[in-house]
Amino acid sequence: MCLRGFLCFSILLSFVVAAPAQEPVKPALQPKIVTATRQVTLFSGLEKQLLTGIQKKDQAALKTLLADDFEIWMPNSDAVAMEDWLPVVLGKFSLKSFRISQMSVRDFGDTAIVKFMRSQKADFQGKDESGEFFVVDVWKKSGDSWQLSDRYVSKVSSIVPVPRPSGKE
Amino acid sequence: MKFPLGKTKVLLTFLFVILAVNFLAAQALRPGSGDIRPNGHVLDNPTETMEAKPSGGAVVQGNGINYHGGPVLHGNVPIYVIWYGNWTNGPKASDSQTTVNLIDAFLGGLGGSALENVNTTYGDNTANVSGLLHLQSQIFDTGSQGTSLTNTRLTNLISSHLANGSLPTDNTGVYLVLTSSNISERGFCTQFCGFHTAQTINGKDIKWAFVGNVDKCPSGCEIQTTSPNGDSGADGMANTLSHEIEEAISDPDLNAWFDSNGQENGDKCNFNFGATQTASNGSKFNQTFGGHNWMLQQNWRNSGGGACAQHL
Repeated sequence: MCLRGFLCFSILLSFVVAAPAQEPVKPALQPKIVTATRQVTLFSGLEKQLLTGIQKKDQAALKTLLADDFEIWMPNSDAVAMEDWLPVVLGKFSLKSFRISQMSVRDFGDTAIVKFMRSQKADFQGKDESGEFFVVDVWKKSGDSWQLSDRYVSKVSSIVPVPRPSGKE
Repeated sequence: MKFPLGKTKVLLTFLFVILAVNFLAAQALRPGSGDIRPNGHVLDNPTETMEAKPSGGAVVQGNGINYHGGPVLHGNVPIYVIWYGNWTNGPKASDSQTTVNLIDAFLGGLGGSALENVNTTYGDNTANVSGLLHLQSQIFDTGSQGTSLTNTRLTNLISSHLANGSLPTDNTGVYLVLTSSNISERGFCTQFCGFHTAQTINGKDIKWAFVGNVDKCPSGCEIQTTSPNGDSGADGMANTLSHEIEEAISDPDLNAWFDSNGQENGDKCNFNFGATQTASNGSKFNQTFGGHNWMLQQNWRNSGGGACAQHL
């Protein structure tokens, strides 16, 4: 009986594991090295400033980059306003490292839609918050500078991609 | 019901194999888990990134960019151009023979120029980059792969012209696909102004690059409204072309020269122009060759600690 139960459990487990394994995440990418557009260069810099501000808990830097009506949208959650978000990232959230990739920008003059992947190593109140995230940001022009107005973010994977080799390892 | 022990062992082994196969399949499908790095760089063996030893002065490290063991392109590099789309009278004024002539002049003069000389600071264990290149041949294709190009269609485009003999199959050269403004390519203008890559086509390791008519997105891929040659498309394309050609020569198989962020020599100076002069039409330029002034981004110098440079 015990053995049969074990076998049934094993078969069930094989299906559970097999199902996601069969899901083709996306077709293999043809490796290519791109020349980023000016907007990708600009917003890569701004996104890095934002993440560095979170890392260093630099409230002044974050407030410069965020619009007053800034909101974050996540799956299965209400929008989080800046006044609720800032105390979290400036408090017990610890961003250890991050990386931005696959950025593209649609520039509409005073508004820009910025899409990218963000991988991070982080924790919040002892819980591991590392992983890979798909982010869509809406930036608005404010005078000569840009401010982040809306962020839409979804966790894609809990696995942080292997950092690229530098040749110095 | 009782399971005989022998059958149980077979069943358990079978289950183990299924789980193992599916686990491995999942690893292969998961982005970023294979040999292809997030930035597209490929290493033959990721655990053995090379700490290259200088060999005859060909490989020099410690200048902010690292050698990963792959080859560079040597000698006087032949350039092959596929003009794709409508380069006679397309939607933008720069979809024209004037642009073709300007780019021909640009490619004719880039080899041996002060800017291309910066690329001679890169090498492999055989020799350094020569800094020389020449326009070997060019063809026109008005749209054999349609107006919406994907990577597959771009590959098919090159492959078909190599197969029918309109261009030679040359693994020592660089193929450039230049598209007019009526042609779309996913990511062009929103993500990139151009790219370079390498893949096996017709049984050979073919290095190729894509650059579109940047008049399609002046704010994304152009430097100035009034350009040195009065053709913002051609002048903007020349800038992106210098970037792609320098990288395609110093990192042709994406496994030679790039830094710890995955940036190649051109990437490290993207839209960084250095000192400029002003032309009679008010535009800025920083290079003169082939009978024209050009506004070209600098290239990363792999010497003297490394820096963006217009010349050595």
